[in-house]
Amino acid sequence: MITTSRRARLGWNIATYAVLLTLTVFCIFPLLWTLLTSLKYEADIVTQTMQYIPKRITFENYVTIWTQSGFPTLVFNSFVVTATTVVLCLITGTLAAYSFSRFHYPGRGALMLGYLVIRMFPAVLMIIPLFILMRGVGLLDSRFGLALAYTSFLLPLFVWMLKGFFDAAPKELESAARIDGCTRIGAMIRIVLPLARNGLVATSVFVAIAAWNEFLFALMLTTSQGSRTWPVGLQLMVGEFQLPWGVLAAGGIISIIPVMILFAIVQRTMVHGITAGAVKG
Amino acid sequence: MSTLTLNGVRKSFGALDVLQSIDLKLEDGEFLVLLGPSGCGKSTLLNIIAGLETPTAGDIRIGDKRVNDVHPKNRNIAMVFQSYALYPTMPVERNIGFGLEMRGVETDTRKRAVDGAARMLQVDHLLDRKPGQLSGGQRQRVAMGRAIVREPELFLFDEPLSNLDAKLRAEMRTEIKRLHNRLGTTVVYVTHDQIEAMTLGTRIAVMKGGVIQQLADPMTTYEKPANMFVAGFIGSPSMNFITGTLVRDGEHVGLTTDGNNPASIRLPRVAANLDALLGRKVVLGVRPESFQADGAAPDLTGTIDVVEPTGPDTLVVLALGNQTITARLGPKLTVATGETLGLSIQPDSISLFDPDSGNRIE
Amino acid sequence: MAERMSALSGPSPSLWRRLDPAAALGRLSETRYWMYLLLVPSAILILAVVLYPTVYGFQLSFRQMRLNRPDLGTGFVGFKHYVAMWNDKVFWLSLRNTAVWVTFAVVIEFGLGLLAALALNRNLPGTKIMGVLILLPYFLPNVVAGHMWALLLDPRLGVINDILVRLGFLETYKAWFADPSTALGAAILVEAWHGFPFFALLLLAGLKGVPDDLYKAASVDGAGPIRQLRLITLPMLRSVIAAAVILRVIGLVNSPDLLLILTGGGPGQSTQVLSLYAFQKAYKDFNFGYAGALSVVMFVLLMVFAWAYVRVSKVNQD
Repeated sequence: MITTSRRARLGWNIATYAVLLTLTVFCIFPLLWTLLTSLKYEADIVTQTMQYIPKRITFENYVTIWTQSGFPTLVFNSFVVTATTVVLCLITGTLAAYSFSRFHYPGRGALMLGYLVIRMFPAVLMIIPLFILMRGVGLLDSRFGLALAYTSFLLPLFVWMLKGFFDAAPKELESAARIDGCTRIGAMIRIVLPLARNGLVATSVFVAIAAWNEFLFALMLTTSQGSRTWPVGLQLMVGEFQLPWGVLAAGGIISIIPVMILFAIVQRTMVHGITAGAVKG
Repeated sequence: MSTLTLNGVRKSFGALDVLQSIDLKLEDGEFLVLLGPSGCGKSTLLNIIAGLETPTAGDIRIGDKRVNDVHPKNRNIAMVFQSYALYPTMPVERNIGFGLEMRGVETDTRKRAVDGAARMLQVDHLLDRKPGQLSGGQRQRVAMGRAIVREPELFLFDEPLSNLDAKLRAEMRTEIKRLHNRLGTTVVYVTHDQIEAMTLGTRIAVMKGGVIQQLADPMTTYEKPANMFVAGFIGSPSMNFITGTLVRDGEHVGLTTDGNNPASIRLPRVAANLDALLGRKVVLGVRPESFQADGAAPDLTGTIDVVEPTGPDTLVVLALGNQTITARLGPKLTVATGETLGLSIQPDSISLFDPDSGNRIE
Repeated sequence: MAERMSALSGPSPSLWRRLDPAAALGRLSETRYWMYLLLVPSAILILAVVLYPTVYGFQLSFRQMRLNRPDLGTGFVGFKHYVAMWNDKVFWLSLRNTAVWVTFAVVIEFGLGLLAALALNRNLPGTKIMGVLILLPYFLPNVVAGHMWALLLDPRLGVINDILVRLGFLETYKAWFADPSTALGAAILVEAWHGFPFFALLLLAGLKGVPDDLYKAASVDGAGPIRQLRLITLPMLRSVIAAAVILRVIGLVNSPDLLLILTGGGPGQSTQVLSLYAFQKAYKDFNFGYAGALSVVMFVLLMVFAWAYVRVSKVNQD
């Protein structure tokens, strides 16, 4: 009896490792291959026999994409748009999340649901009017306009995730702070925000990654080099210049490096925040 | 100077009345315990006194000042919370001194005050630690330190001991009593623990459904509960309630229990004249500790159902007619399940209640 | 309250208080409407950048609006676009493709996600890092994901072609995205890679919430792993699964990004889906009215799906 169950457990353990290993390879292989490709000479990419391990490596592709295209500008634009989006979310979203987390009032549930339903609106349905509106107010093809558009559809996520982190801070802390002499906003800034620091960072990173990666709004709402972000720029380069694979791969690797670094740093808190919102809601 | 007066304080959330017209007057130096089960409105009342919630109607006065529209920080109160509510990001020293810091007290004065409070509560060696590094008891002490350092007119405690284990709770209870004796500040203390209420309070307000059921000193609530709720809530094990009809029993008054298997109880002498109540249906309330084993001239006789020795005494559950009663008898009692046991009731220890209203009959 | 303060602290501090914006904000936070005031900034943003455009989009679908044909004006055209849609073969094809795309992607992603979550939830030594690596694709940009896979599946240089030929599954390299019979399938594979970590993430969190005692009780009762999965795990995860599926379906229906990058709807219209079709009508043809009508239909279908799905999963629960 004991031997069979021990044998059965060993079997399940082996199966578990097999599944996880396969999935990990499935997830990582495209990334690895892209990295390898970005380090190959073009001649070694376009060959008759596939080179699995590059015979020689070069950083020429990275030099090419960085110096012979508008890539630095694109990355800079993306950086500005991302930072603006995060700041807008932080200012408006933190207040809203705090209100939802700390107070009970008529209409709170409906409002929270309202913030969530916004995510269901098709991007395309919003993009067209946004295009017309932004053209009307001169925000078309501007980094701020794009950040504004990003904020609108990332804000609900930001609010819901952050609310979860705020909920974790006991309400009695604010009562204590108010008796100690803080105003409500003082209690929020002095006591609750420092306590939810990790949550604020993780939620901001989540929004930052989404803004950094975004493609569709950027494609529609930017038209010139001045505000174009890297996903759009890279995509257009592929179409216009028949970008060589090695250079394209190098561009891809450069642009996902910030994502991977941020993800690695706050991965645990961020995953916690995403799931808490979804599992509860 | 630091009296507390509540006049017709009411609180409702929509159609739900959490508090229904609370009137209270607390003299300087009193220790009032708000006692009741969860949901009785005691914490809401405390929050209203603190200014953390606003009453729907009524006046709150601290001293001579009406404080309804005064911010919590300007009410000159201090509060200790159930979860202690220590600021996790600040070291103990800053936690205790935060109220003074917010009031612009100079660093030197503040430091002296914090040191004094910390020494009084024996946490002076912990001043550099963060709350996360403290044990439950230490956190409790720091929370109290934060309250006393400001020398407020009024202390508010919101179930401060409920997160501690039994041993620590008894220890801190004594500590709070010592502190009150020493500082003499007026206290309002919320708890659902009747032992805390009995040991700490100079007066107890027993609450249920947003209404104060009885406001009296501890011994009165114990000996003369105003109604069956108070009688049942205070004392452990709970008071026995026996329903029956009052009848003449020789020179005594007796009770015939309800049901198809009636039993008779002879009531002991009481101050009040029971003759007027003869023939009336009542609920007899007897505390378990008011019984004595008495083979010679028992007031009642029943069959032993369960015997529970606790060490200092023995709890005996007795079947009496269709009802059961619990008696707290002496240790080393040699009785067994199934035996018949005679009990006598101490004079002047019984309560009679009206079965319909549940109110005490005097 | 302000009067009382000034009475207590004399005129000059009170003046200072009135001028100090931080103190003013502090006073504002003590009013009864503070919780609503906190919502104002985000509500303004959402109203201006989401709600107004969406309403605008709805009415746009009843108007003529072609940016490249200003001569047509922007007049009210009633249901013209909807009638045109009814007779538009590409619309019906896109609708069918959307259904295929979403169904297969969700089923595969759910399957892989559940597998990953169950495996990770066993907490065997050394699997934590795999858990992190498995989540990674979800956070990678569509543009990079698309081109990575385009490279892997390239008809001349694709390493997957090479591996399949070496293993004997294929005679020659295959142009996966150029062949109408394989293009949608290949795109679904890429989407599955990109999207299954999302399911893994949520399901794993759900699994952590299932009490261990339930499994102990089940094994004492003699239920094997498969039966435990069917009788305990899946029912306990019902609400998490419902939430994950709805969120994923919304995401898949709404965002044309990946298909736009991989195939652009081609070859022919074999990978054309509703969101992409609407986007192309707007982006390429500048026919905003028709594109608006397409997205309204998409939105309504999505709402109907969400409503029906929530109802069905609630009914099952009782």
